[in-house]
Amino acid sequence: MEPGSGLPQRRAGGGGLDLGAGSAAGSPLQVIIIGSRGVGKTSLMERFTDDTFCEACKSTVGVDFKIKTVELRGKKIRLQIWDTAGQERFNSITSAYYRSAKGIILVYDITKKETFDDLPKWMKMIDKYASEDAELLLVGNKLDCEVDREITRQQGEKFAQQITGMRFCEASAKDNFNVDEIFLKLVDDILKKMPLDVIRNELSNSILSLQPEPEIPPELPPPRPHVRCC
Amino acid sequence: LSPCHGQGHPRQPQTGRNLRAVLCQRCGSRVLLPGALLLPAMRKKAAAAAAGGGGDVLREHWLVRDMFSFENVGFTRDVGNVKFLVCADCEAGPIGWHCLDDKDSFYVALERVAHE
Repeated sequence: MEPGSGLPQRRAGGGGLDLGAGSAAGSPLQVIIIGSRGVGKTSLMERFTDDTFCEACKSTVGVDFKIKTVELRGKKIRLQIWDTAGQERFNSITSAYYRSAKGIILVYDITKKETFDDLPKWMKMIDKYASEDAELLLVGNKLDCEVDREITRQQGEKFAQQITGMRFCEASAKDNFNVDEIFLKLVDDILKKMPLDVIRNELSNSILSLQPEPEIPPELPPPRPHVRCC
Repeated sequence: LSPCHGQGHPRQPQTGRNLRAVLCQRCGSRVLLPGALLLPAMRKKAAAAAAGGGGDVLREHWLVRDMFSFENVGFTRDVGNVKFLVCADCEAGPIGWHCLDDKDSFYVALERVAHE
C-alpha cells in the first residue's frame, strides 16, 4: 500500500478496493499506531460490547479498515483506520508509513512490563523512519486492569518527558475511557501545526495500526542523532 | 418500501434519500447520517456465505455511492471479491457489503441496521 496516494495496491486476488480521493478535499493525513503485540492497539479503535452478534465475522474474516468520524474544532474529521495485524510482516513498505505519518500513537500495556520495555525498540523505528515533525503520543492501555498494573503512570510520564514533544496519557479501550480523546488530542495537535488554508478543506486522516514486532536487522546503520531528546 | 421491524423508512420525496440516521442494531453507533443514502432499495441478495455460516437472503439495501459518506463503518478483509461492512465501534455485522468490482456501490442491508 502506498500511504501517500491513498490507493492501496492489493497484492493478491481481486480488483482491490479503490479508495480514491473520496469526497474529502486535500490529501489525507496519516497517523499510525504502533506498539508490541497484544497491547490493545486494535482495541483502541473498537468498543467491544458482547459477543452474541457475528463473532464469526470478526474472528474468521477480520477487519481490514474502518472509517470513523470525530468532530474537532467545529469541523468534522474523517479517520481512516487500518489494521494490518497478521498480514504483512514488517518490511520496507512499513517504513513508508512512518515517513508519511503526521502523527504516531505508541501504545504499551500497563499490565505487561515487557511491552513498556519494548518502547525503546519502537522509538528506534521512529527515529529511523519517521518525519521529525510528526506528533507523538504515548498511550498506556488497559487502564481497566488496575489490579494487574505493572507500570505506574509516573513511569509512563517519565518516558514521554525524555522525548521532545511526546505527550502521554492512559486509556482503557475496554471501558472506552480516553479512547476518543486519544485520537482527538493527536489530531488536534496535528491541526494546530497545519496552515489555515489546508484546515479549511475537509480533511481526511488515515490511521494505520501495526501489529508485528519490528525486526531490526543486526547491521543497522548508525542511528541519526536522536533529535527528539531534550 | 415496506417497513422492517415495525419501523418506517421515510424518504425525502425528490431525492429518495433516507430521512433518518442509520444505526448499528447492537450498540447504536451511527453508520450514516440522514440524507446520506440514496434509495431505491436495491433488490439484491447479500453476497453468499456470510462469514457467520448459514446466511440470509437480504433483499433491501440502502445504496451508498461514496465510501467517505459513512460516518462510522468497518470493512472486513476480502471474502472472494466482496468486503463486508460491519459496525465500526462494536464490529457487529455484516451490516452490508461491497463488491470490489463495483467501486462506487456500498450496500447497507435494511434488516441489519436500526433507524433512528
